[in-house]
Amino acid sequence: MIDKYFETFDMYKEEILISLYETLDMMLTAMIISIIIGILLGFVLFITRSDGIYQNKSLYFITSGVLNIIRSIPYILFIIVIIPLNRMILGTGFGVDASKIPLSLIGIATFARFTEQDFLDVNKNIYETSYALGANTLQYFTHFLLKEARSGLVLSFTSTTISLLSYSTVMGIIGGGGLGYLAISEGYQNFNYNLMWIIIIIMVLIVHFIQTTGNLIAKKYDKR
Amino acid sequence: MKAGELMIRFENVSKIFNINGKESSVIHDISLNIKKKEIFGLVGETGSGKSTILRLMNGFIEPEKGEIFLMDKKLNKNTRHELVKDTSMIFQDFNLLGNLNVMDNVLLPTKLRNGNKKENNQKAKELLNFVGLADFQQSYIRTLSGGQKQRVAIARTLMTSPKIILCDEPTSALDDKMSYEVLKLLKDINDKFETTIVIVSHDISVIKTLCSRVAVIEEGRLLEVFSLKPKKIKPISYKEALISD
Repeated sequence: MIDKYFETFDMYKEEILISLYETLDMMLTAMIISIIIGILLGFVLFITRSDGIYQNKSLYFITSGVLNIIRSIPYILFIIVIIPLNRMILGTGFGVDASKIPLSLIGIATFARFTEQDFLDVNKNIYETSYALGANTLQYFTHFLLKEARSGLVLSFTSTTISLLSYSTVMGIIGGGGLGYLAISEGYQNFNYNLMWIIIIIMVLIVHFIQTTGNLIAKKYDKR
Repeated sequence: MKAGELMIRFENVSKIFNINGKESSVIHDISLNIKKKEIFGLVGETGSGKSTILRLMNGFIEPEKGEIFLMDKKLNKNTRHELVKDTSMIFQDFNLLGNLNVMDNVLLPTKLRNGNKKENNQKAKELLNFVGLADFQQSYIRTLSGGQKQRVAIARTLMTSPKIILCDEPTSALDDKMSYEVLKLLKDINDKFETTIVIVSHDISVIKTLCSRVAVIEEGRLLEVFSLKPKKIKPISYKEALISD
C-alpha cells in the first residue's frame, strides 16, 4: 500500500517541488513584511491603549479597527476583495506575487495583535526603569521592551508563520499556486487522493519543523 | 547657600492624580531643599505620597503646581530627559532585565549613551567588584538572591556616575542581613563618590541608620524636616535583634 504513495510521489515529484517553492516564496515574503510591520503596529497599539505611555484613543481605535476588519473577513473572501489593491500595487491581481499581498496583510494583522499581547505581559515597571536610566522612547522599545518580550515574540511569530502556511493553501483562487492548491486541484478534484495525502503529510512535517524550531529558539532566548 | 550646593529644590509643589475619573490631590504644596552629598530620607505611612515625591524628583511625573529644580536647572518636559541622566534610581523590586545577564544589566545605562565600550566594560567590572559580585558577571538574574539583585541594581545605578541617587524602599524586599549589606553599600557610595542620596522608606530604622536629614510626609503634606545623627552601620544577627530592646 505504501508503494502506491511512493509511486505517486515519484510521478508528481517535480510538481510537488515547484508547489513547495511557490508556498515558501509566498510565505517568506509575507513573514518578512509581517515581522517588521506587525511588530511596529503592535508597539503602536501597546503605547496608545488606555493605559499606555502615549494614550491616544483615536489612533488606537483606528489601528485596532483596521486589524480587526482584516482578521474578521473570511480569508477566501478577503483574497477576492483585495484584488483591486493587488492591481494597484503590482499591475496584476493574479499570480504568486499578487498572492503575497493578502498573505502579508493577514500576517501583519495577526502578528500585531500577538505583539501587543506579548508587550502587555512584560513587567509594567520596565518603562519607569528605562526612563530612570535615561532611555528615550525608541531606546525603551529596542533595549527594554524587545529584550524582555523576545521569547514571547518568537512563539507568537511561530504561530503567525503556521497560520500563514494554512492561509497560503487557498491562494490558488488568484493563481498563487503552492502546495495547498496542488493538493486541492490535482489531489482532491482529480480524485488523486494519494497525492492529497502526500501533501498533507508534507504540510504536517513543515508545521512540526516550524513549531519545534520556534520552541527551541524561544527557550534559548528566555533567561527569566 | 552657594550656587551648586542645592541638588534638589521643590517650590510649592502639588500633584493631582486622576483616579477612576475623580481628581485626587496626593501632594500638597511641598517645598524642600536637598543639599549636595546629603543622604536625605522621606518617611511616612504607605500611601502618604513618598514615592510620588521621588518620581517628581526625576521628572517621571509632572507637578500640577509649583516648580522643581535639579542642580539649579528647572525640571520640565524639555529638560527632563537631559536632567534625568544625572540621576539614577534604585527600586524596591530591583527592576532588572531578566533576559540579560548581570554584566549586561550593569552595562545597560551606557548602551543608552555614547561612550567607549572598552572603558565601560572595565568600569562595569570594577563596580561589580565594588558591590561584591565580581564572580557573577555571566549569571542570570533568576539565579541571584534578593540582596545580590539589589547590588546588581546599585552597580547599574553607578555606571553613569549619577550626581543624585533616588532609592524607593531599597530594602523592603530584603531580610535583615541583606538590608544591612545594601545600606552599607549606599553609605559607602555616599562617602566614596559624594553622591546625593534620597531614600524613601516606611522603615524608621533604615532612615535612622543612613540619613542626616529626614522629611516626614503625612497625607501628601510635609509635616516636618528633622536633622539626624546617622548611626554606625553594623550587622545584626537574628539572635541580637530578638534580645535587643
